[in-house]
Amino acid sequence: MSEPILAFKAGKATRREGTNTVEPSATKGAIILQNEDGLLHFKWKNRESGEVEEDLILFPQDASFTKVSQVTGGRIYVLKFNSSNQRHFDASAARDEEFASQINVLLEDPDRVLVWGESNVASTSAQVIQPTEASSSSAVGTIPPGPASAEQIAHLSEILRNMTAQQTQNRPTVSLRDVLTRENVAPLFTTHPELIPALFPHLPPDLPIPPSPEALQRVVNSPQFQEAVRSFDQALHTGLLGGLVRSLGLPEDAGTGVEPFLRAVQNQAEREGSGSSSSSTNQPHERDQDHMETD
Amino acid sequence: MSGDEGSSGWQLTESDPGVFTELLKTLGVDLIVDDLYSLDSDALASFQPIHALIFLFKWVANSDERGGGSGQFDTAFPGFFAHQVVNNACATLAVLNALMNIPSLTMGPELSDLKAFTTGMDPQSCGLTITSSDFLRQSHNALSPPSAISLDGLDIPKTSEDAYHFIVYTPVAGSLYELDGLKQYPVKHGSYSEAGEGWVAKAREAIEARIATYPPGAIEFNLMAIHDDALPKLQAELKASQDAGRDLQADQLLVRITEENDKRAKWALESSLRRHNYLGFIHALTLALAKAGKLQPATEKARTVMKERIAKAKKDGKSMEED
Repeated sequence: MSEPILAFKAGKATRREGTNTVEPSATKGAIILQNEDGLLHFKWKNRESGEVEEDLILFPQDASFTKVSQVTGGRIYVLKFNSSNQRHFDASAARDEEFASQINVLLEDPDRVLVWGESNVASTSAQVIQPTEASSSSAVGTIPPGPASAEQIAHLSEILRNMTAQQTQNRPTVSLRDVLTRENVAPLFTTHPELIPALFPHLPPDLPIPPSPEALQRVVNSPQFQEAVRSFDQALHTGLLGGLVRSLGLPEDAGTGVEPFLRAVQNQAEREGSGSSSSSTNQPHERDQDHMETD
Repeated sequence: MSGDEGSSGWQLTESDPGVFTELLKTLGVDLIVDDLYSLDSDALASFQPIHALIFLFKWVANSDERGGGSGQFDTAFPGFFAHQVVNNACATLAVLNALMNIPSLTMGPELSDLKAFTTGMDPQSCGLTITSSDFLRQSHNALSPPSAISLDGLDIPKTSEDAYHFIVYTPVAGSLYELDGLKQYPVKHGSYSEAGEGWVAKAREAIEARIATYPPGAIEFNLMAIHDDALPKLQAELKASQDAGRDLQADQLLVRITEENDKRAKWALESSLRRHNYLGFIHALTLALAKAGKLQPATEKARTVMKERIAKAKKDGKSMEED
C-alpha cells in the first residue's frame, strides 16, 4: 500500500542549540503516515517546496509521540525515538493529550490494545484520508484549528492501533474458539438461565426445533457453529472488521482484533448491567416468569 | 487448490449426502443422495434403483499422486459431459454430469434449459456454460455458510482444505461410463447386463479396480449413490402390509421409515445450521458470558491456552498459522 493512511497539516519545531527553547518554524508542512513494504513511515513534507524532508520508520516500543507540556499558546508534540534524535512537531491545531497519550501507549507496548469509549470513536472512521495537499490550493494560509485535525489525530491512533493489530496478527494472544467452548458456555444454562432467552432471536430462523435451552446447546455444540467461530476469529485477527462490528452496535475498534472485541463486549455488559436498561437482557422482575417457562 | 485462481465466485462446499440432496432439490430433481459404506449387494439393494454412483477422493498429505482408473476414452460419447473449469465447482459439476445422463429425469426449468442449451457442445464449452450460470453458482453457494463472516476478499491464507476429486459412474446407452471432469473424455467400461443388480455390478468392478491402484493410505475416499426417494414406496408398502395384517413386515418397514425420517430431520437441521449467519449469535453469546461474569475468566484461560499452543508450535518448528 503506498497510499497515505493519514495526513494532516503540521509544522516543524526545532530545539535551539544549547537551550531548552523549541522554536516552531513557519514552514508549512504536513505529517504523513504511510505504509511501505509493511513498515510504517512517518514523514514530514514541506508543503512549500513539496519535498519530503523527514522519513522515519516507526517501530513499536521505539517511538513515542508526546505533547511538550511546557509550551503555552500552541501545542508542540515530540516524536521521540529511543534510538536516535528526537523530532519535534508543531501540531498546534491538534486537539488533545488524550490522543497523544493513546498513541504513546501503543507505540510503547503493541500488545496493549486500548478500548475507546463510544464517544471517542464517534467522530472517526476507518477511511483512508487523502493528504491535505490535495485540498489546500494556495501556499498561503495558516494551519486551521478545530475538528478536522482532531479527527486526523484520532485517525493516527486508529492507524497505529490497526498497525498494532496487524503486528499481532502473526502472534495472536487469544482465540475466540478457546473462549466460546462448550465447557465455558454450558454452565450458563444452569447458573444464569435468565440470560438465555436473549439468545433465542439469534438462532437460525428455520431451525426445525423450537427455541429452547436444548436447541441452544445443540447449536453451540454443532460443527457449523464451531466453524463460524473459527471463521470470525480468523477475520478478527485481520483487524479489518470495524465496519462489520458496527452493525452489532459495537464501536469500530471492536473489529480490530479478538482482544478488542472481547473488551468491547465486556464494556457493553457492564453498561447494560444485569437488566437495568438494556434491550439485551430481561428485567429482573421477569426472572420468575422465565424460570416458569423453562421448566 | 481452493485458493488458486479457480474460484470465480464459487465457494467450496462440503461433500456430504445432505448437501448433495439439498442441491438436487434446488435443481428441481426429486432424487436422494446417500453415503454408501460398502459396494456389496446388500448395501446396494436397499438403495435400488440407483441412477449414478459418485466416487470422491482426496489425496492425503504428501501422497504420491499415482493411481487411477483404466478403460478407454470415448471420443464419441453420446451423452452429457462437462469439464471441470473451476475447482470449487467440482461438486456441482459432478452432480450435473450424473443428472444430465439420467433418461427421462424430471428437473426444474433452469436445468432443462441448460440441458437443451448444451446439447451437442464439446466438454470444455459445457464446463464453461455451467460455471457461468448464475443460477447454478447461486444454488451451489447456497450450500455453504454465508459470506458475511467468510474470508473471501480479506486475503487470508486459506487453510489447506483441498477439494475432493469427483468421479461419476453411470450407465449411458447400454455401457457403463466413468465421467471425470478433469479428464478430456468420458471413459467407457463396456456393456453390462440388466439382469440382477444391473449396471451397478459392473460399476463395482470398475470402482474396486480403481481403489486398488492407489497406494494404501494414499487417499481418503467416499462413495455416494444417487437414487430414487425410497419413502413413498416404503409408505405404500407399509400401508399394504398393515392392511394385509403382515405385522412383522409392517414392523420392519416402520423401522426403515423411521430411520429415513430421522435422516431427513438431521439433514434439515444441518442445512439450517449451515446456512445461518452466526455473527449476531456469537455476539449475543459472548455478551451473555460477560453478563454472567464469566467472560474474563474464560478469556484468561484462553490466553494461557494460546500461549501454550504458540510455545508448542515453536518447539515443533512450525510457523504460527491458524489450524
